[in-house]
Amino acid sequence: MQGIIRTIRDGSGFDILLLGLALVYLVAFSAFPIIYNIIMSLQTVDMFTITSFKRPFVGLENYSTIFAQPIAATVLWNTVQFVVLSIVFQLSIGFGLALFFQQDFPGATYLRGLFLAGWIMPALVVGAIWKWLFAGDFGVINYVLTALGLTDDRIFWLSDPNVALYAVIIANIWLGIPFNMILLSVGLASIPRDVYEAAELDGAGPLERFRSITLPLMRAQLGAVISLGVIFTLQQFDLIAALTQGGPADSSNVAQYWSWQLSFQTYEISLGSAVSVLMILFVIIVAAAYVRSTRHEHSY
Amino acid sequence: MKRYVLLVIGLMMTATYLFPLYWMYLTALKGSSEIFQYPPTFWPSDPQWNFLEIWKNRDMGRYIWNSLLIAIGVTILVTMLGTGCAYVLSRVRNVWMEIALFAILMMQVLPSSLMVTPIFVMFNQIGLLASPRIAVILAQTAKVLPLYIVLCRATFVQVPRELEEAALVDGSSRIGAFFRIMLPLARNGILVTSVLIFLQSFGEYVYARSLIAKNELQTATVGLQTFMGPNANDWNGIMTYAAIYVTPILIVFMLLQRRIVSGLTAGALK
Amino acid sequence: MKRISHWIAAAALLISGAAQAEPVTLDIWTIDRPDQYMYLLKDEFEQAHPDIKLNIKTVQFRDMVNDLARATATGESPDVTYIDNPEVALFASRGLLLDLSAMLAESKVIKKDDIFPGPLSSVTWDDKIYGVPRGANTIALYYNADMFKAKGLDPDKPPRTWDELYAAAKKLNDPAKNVYGLAFSAVATEEGTFQFLPWLQMAGGDYNKVDTEGGEKVLNFWGKLIDEKLASPDTLIRSQYDSTGTFNAGNAAMAISGPWELPRMGREAKFDYRAALLPVPRDGATRASALGEGDNVILAKSEHPKEAFILLEFLYSKMPDVWNRFGFVPAANVQSNNPNNPAIYAVFEESMKYARNRGPHPEWPKISKAIYTAIQSSLTHQSDAKTALAAAQKQIDGVLND
Repeated sequence: MQGIIRTIRDGSGFDILLLGLALVYLVAFSAFPIIYNIIMSLQTVDMFTITSFKRPFVGLENYSTIFAQPIAATVLWNTVQFVVLSIVFQLSIGFGLALFFQQDFPGATYLRGLFLAGWIMPALVVGAIWKWLFAGDFGVINYVLTALGLTDDRIFWLSDPNVALYAVIIANIWLGIPFNMILLSVGLASIPRDVYEAAELDGAGPLERFRSITLPLMRAQLGAVISLGVIFTLQQFDLIAALTQGGPADSSNVAQYWSWQLSFQTYEISLGSAVSVLMILFVIIVAAAYVRSTRHEHSY
Repeated sequence: MKRYVLLVIGLMMTATYLFPLYWMYLTALKGSSEIFQYPPTFWPSDPQWNFLEIWKNRDMGRYIWNSLLIAIGVTILVTMLGTGCAYVLSRVRNVWMEIALFAILMMQVLPSSLMVTPIFVMFNQIGLLASPRIAVILAQTAKVLPLYIVLCRATFVQVPRELEEAALVDGSSRIGAFFRIMLPLARNGILVTSVLIFLQSFGEYVYARSLIAKNELQTATVGLQTFMGPNANDWNGIMTYAAIYVTPILIVFMLLQRRIVSGLTAGALK
Repeated sequence: MKRISHWIAAAALLISGAAQAEPVTLDIWTIDRPDQYMYLLKDEFEQAHPDIKLNIKTVQFRDMVNDLARATATGESPDVTYIDNPEVALFASRGLLLDLSAMLAESKVIKKDDIFPGPLSSVTWDDKIYGVPRGANTIALYYNADMFKAKGLDPDKPPRTWDELYAAAKKLNDPAKNVYGLAFSAVATEEGTFQFLPWLQMAGGDYNKVDTEGGEKVLNFWGKLIDEKLASPDTLIRSQYDSTGTFNAGNAAMAISGPWELPRMGREAKFDYRAALLPVPRDGATRASALGEGDNVILAKSEHPKEAFILLEFLYSKMPDVWNRFGFVPAANVQSNNPNNPAIYAVFEESMKYARNRGPHPEWPKISKAIYTAIQSSLTHQSDAKTALAAAQKQIDGVLND
């Protein structure tokens, strides 16, 4: 007994206890739903058998049905573009803003706080507003572009099949900026100023300092923000539902929305689950890359 | 001088970013067909001030109270469960920790809309649906805990290891070092992440909608949906409601986060 | 939850000390906003029937079917709920709804023979009746009479055929003033199918037979309207309500939509708006119209079927007022009490005669999806009308022959 108390106070028992609490909680509440979805992807499920376990297994049939659908390739390519473009721009804009507001000028901290608006506004509202901003006929974006003489014709952001996906991506980048910016600000703030000062004395320019100090010391933050950003982006649903419903003609359909359409619009729940499991595979790759990257992170 | 140039640039960037927020306020004041008008109006032609009416008619006080309860519950639970875990994951380096980190990240993989049915079935079995707000807190905690752990872990990584070791050499216990050295030094990250978790839980929608059957216990985001009727969405109502809901939180957190990123200097640590 | 409400009811009884029977609480699901149908009728009903209380929950339209399925599977289902017309068959075919045939035969309030054939077919499955229509709606052509006059068109002679519709749209179209000839919706949801079907039915075809010459004609006609910018390209992603918003704002001269638009139109359209029947392909062609709105049904597992049916009767008895109060067209042969907008009411009332139900089929959503997918791929020119409809037909056949 004494030994247990001692190891919790001072030894590895302390680590195991802290880690165990969270893991047990997650296994209890999250692992079950995930496994449930994986199992459903191997069965024939409809809306009315969704809560029972007695369902016929069909092996990988749902997966072959999914890949045989004509839109599968479109959706896959759209999803890749959606994730990669969203992450690249969210991260670079967010990082840029974090660096900018790190500088000393009046009101910097207040202004930075205002960026939280994107995180607070309800999804329903964000979707509706972007839909109006992008509207071909009465949208503000077209109004501004034509007023500035940047375009002659109206761009039908949401109903032109060549543009719709990018419009959704732009809105999603807007949504992701606060998350990236605020968290990277925290990371930047914990890099001590004197490290920079020392480098400056050694004659390192701003770019050199960014490359040799900021980036390496931000490694943990960047890894966390990127991997979580990918997961968030893969869960972005409200925006697509509000803006284009995956249309026109599936030109802006992505995996998560397709999965939802299958499960909740045409009630082909097994197929919807199969798509979600394919997305899990994708996240496994991202998570593994992130975990590997943590081997190289360090404090100063 | 340079500081004011930066201020002007900062103002311009913030204004651009906040344009959708402005549009929300503007739409709250517009007539519902004026939304569809071209050229768009940047100021309402006939402003309609419905704020008090919406607040009273929709019983927003009660909705917001429920949202607050849930958000506070989730934030407390998440910080209690997650902080220690994040610390351990940042300090101990071995293959088991990598597996644990990987598993935790994977727990975040499915969107709520796919998690909710199994959770509903499970909670129904164990009778948790009888206390629906607690049910939402538990489900939402599971949803955001991985996020919290991964982000806080990054913060702990940035705290120099030597500081903790020095405390241990001085005879402090692990628990003592954790509370006296690590937590204070990681407080920025913990605070910011908790704020993000709080705000996200405040806006939680899928679980509340599905797990809470009684209108009196519903949250503000579910209340917002009641403006969406069959074939007829009351966009002015939605935007008015959203403006009431967003403004105070935005102000509070704008002031709060000011304290957060105050910056550290290495000298202060040594 | 039911237990709690019983407990509360019992406590109330104790406090009041009354010797009455314990009031029954019915759990009601609806898609209404707090200023609509069910909420407005709740108080009236509870006053008329003090022994029955209503506990109303709003469920979003797009979530209704899933939530209901999950609730029935876990025993948390309500007593009475709203179901959209084409979904009744899905739940009825699973035996989840209460068969009302016997109760209806004895009812003094609801006369089955009064209900119009379209709405009646939407609640009928396997010759049994599973619901009572709340009301009905259908679509018609709204037009801006002031714009007609300004462009030299006769506002008393709205377009009656597709050719006339096209000519009018062309004449009314005025890009310099940001005015489109026509606003309608071809969005990739049930609404797109809803707007498309009557056109198809008039031209020859139906939900089970879409790859017809008539179907191609419709899609090519719609395509022409959009390609020539007589209707906004955003027609592809805009709901009916949003499309009609542009009509109200004066940015479209005509709009195809239903009676639910009238409250907003009355408030915000600053011009003389009128309505006409949906144009037909050519003079003398068969008319058709969409049938919308939903039904009140009782769940098979309800513990209070008798009280629930009393509620259904009460709701049905409001049929003469649905136009003025809720923007529905009566779904049965009743005399409306002093209808507002009498001219427009007359148009919708006549239009109801041609309204056809969607389906019924238990897998309606798949059929609907095949149809709106064809609309979208044809209007975006990803495939021509014929190919798109052939692909849709193949999917529909797959569902029908299953």
